[in-house]
Amino acid sequence: MEEKHDSKKEAPVTYAEVNDTILKMLEPPGTGWYLLLFTCLFFLAIGASCWFYQMWSGFGESGKSHPIGWGTYITNFVFWVGIAHSGTLISAVLYLFRAAFRQPIYRLAEAMTVFAVMTAGLFPIIHLGRPWYALWLMPYPNQRALWPNFRSPLLWDVFAVSTYFTISATFFIVGLIPDIAAARDRATTRFRKTLYGVTSLGWRNSHVQWKHYTAAYLIFAAFATPLVVSVHSVVSWDFAMSIVPGWHATIFPPYFVAGAIFSGVAMVVTLIIPLRKAFKLERLITPFHFDAMSKLILMTSGVVTYSYITEFYTAWFSNNPFERFQFWFRPFGEFWIAFWGMTFCNCIFPQLLWVKSLRTNIPFLFVLSIFINIGMWLERFNIIFQSLTREFIPAAWGGYNFSWVEVGITVGAFGWFGMWMTLFIKFFPSVAIVEIKEILPPPVRREGHGHGHEHAAVGAVH
Amino acid sequence: MVESTSRAVVGVFTYMDDALEAVKNVKAANLDWRMYSPVPRHEIEEVTFPQKSPVRLVSFCCALTGCICGWSLAILCSLDWPMRTSAKNIASIPAFFVPGYEWTILFGGLGTLFAIFAYCKIPSVVRAAGYDPRFSHDKFGVVVACSAGQVADVSKRLKTAGADEVDVRDSL
Repeated sequence: MEEKHDSKKEAPVTYAEVNDTILKMLEPPGTGWYLLLFTCLFFLAIGASCWFYQMWSGFGESGKSHPIGWGTYITNFVFWVGIAHSGTLISAVLYLFRAAFRQPIYRLAEAMTVFAVMTAGLFPIIHLGRPWYALWLMPYPNQRALWPNFRSPLLWDVFAVSTYFTISATFFIVGLIPDIAAARDRATTRFRKTLYGVTSLGWRNSHVQWKHYTAAYLIFAAFATPLVVSVHSVVSWDFAMSIVPGWHATIFPPYFVAGAIFSGVAMVVTLIIPLRKAFKLERLITPFHFDAMSKLILMTSGVVTYSYITEFYTAWFSNNPFERFQFWFRPFGEFWIAFWGMTFCNCIFPQLLWVKSLRTNIPFLFVLSIFINIGMWLERFNIIFQSLTREFIPAAWGGYNFSWVEVGITVGAFGWFGMWMTLFIKFFPSVAIVEIKEILPPPVRREGHGHGHEHAAVGAVH
Repeated sequence: MVESTSRAVVGVFTYMDDALEAVKNVKAANLDWRMYSPVPRHEIEEVTFPQKSPVRLVSFCCALTGCICGWSLAILCSLDWPMRTSAKNIASIPAFFVPGYEWTILFGGLGTLFAIFAYCKIPSVVRAAGYDPRFSHDKFGVVVACSAGQVADVSKRLKTAGADEVDVRDSL
């Protein structure tokens, strides 16, 4: 059911309507919201219980064993960092390019970024087995006079992910301040007045505040943009700096970045479709936005597909028997189903987006986005598990037995992420109020007083 | 500024160009004023605050500090605990690019945050002069600080510019 929108028949969106529509989302929640929250909390409880059980009984419960030392937890880490990625792309990179389709979706994408990094950050700590030693990764003066190895990509990861989280969270919170002030000015209950009064930090929309704010926001976008490239590049170096066949490839950084954007945009689609339906945001999030996101998915699917092909080509062209064997093993070996599942979800299925009507077909996009997320998890599985099961000498080859503990922790991660998202959409504006107003023509009495740069963007909201 | 005078005259405007006209008017009369708007716009900046914001300078200085600190941390820690790996130099410059790069962004970002706090004067628990909740909704506001004797003149200026309503408040 392709959605059509005839803007000529509808009155233009006004500043007041933007406030009213978005702040209506913050009204007291219904049964559905509580049901969703408790489902997330239930999954989180499963994950937390499994983690405590693993700490109590020992790391052997995780299912990891020789030769696979990096199992589900690192797969989940890479998956969640990838999910986080597109939020920064949409909020920062597309802000610098003044892409009109970003405004209604970027807040949710940013929230997704922050909560996904919070989820990703748990996995290296869980993977340690003894999480209370996690602080040893930090370069701090200590009684043993030891410093971490700054030549290790694992330490680079600590710097990259912690910086990414800090800057993404700051960018996200700074963007929220004027919108929280709008919520504060409309709050009726004591709890909401206090919550928004404190979190809006006394913001008043004065011309001096806007001047410094817009300058700073642009700088934040400029700082966040290189992080889009650097974070997943550094994550990819965790693999590419090693000599393991299937990992040691110079294509990894761009391949990982494109894959991260691909999976992240898919996750934005997965989240935004039910949100749009539940809160009746059809006039703010229109087929125009889904069409733009679909094109982004289609493009990044192309880059990812090209990267897969390049991996196979370089393995063949290198004449290295270990590399060649690894890339024969992936499609035809023990875990063939993971490879072909990945290929279908990431390379073949998204090609349907060449059909224009499907790019605005909401049920189709929802199903596709879930398939892409499954496919991207499988991609990380292929890279990590498949490469480690078949390294150089056959005596070191092995398999893998998934344990219920790591499955439980994986489920718990979705619960953790879902819990934050569910709380966020009910307590803070999950669609940007001020930025949507920015693309609307300002109310003017005399023609020609506005600069008119909004005309290019006005099609973004009807 | 606004707080030090005895009256605050608040003009509420539906149209942005009317509010800007009022600002030009009170600026010409050399009055102490402040404008509120539900959205930042270049047209407003050009009239109210055409100068460049100093935030960018703070960001640059902090980013530079972060770059120096990131590289220094990696180099000095490695020299303090000299562990040679794979025949690389103790101070391996290419490998230390990542800490230097990441801290450039980290310090620059945090510096920008503190610059927002400093220049926008937030967090603030003080009530802003003449602020009205409608200014975060769909109205524009021009607040002029003046003495009791100037109230009539200022009100007239705001009304002439197109204010929907003009309100006089005590000194804030």
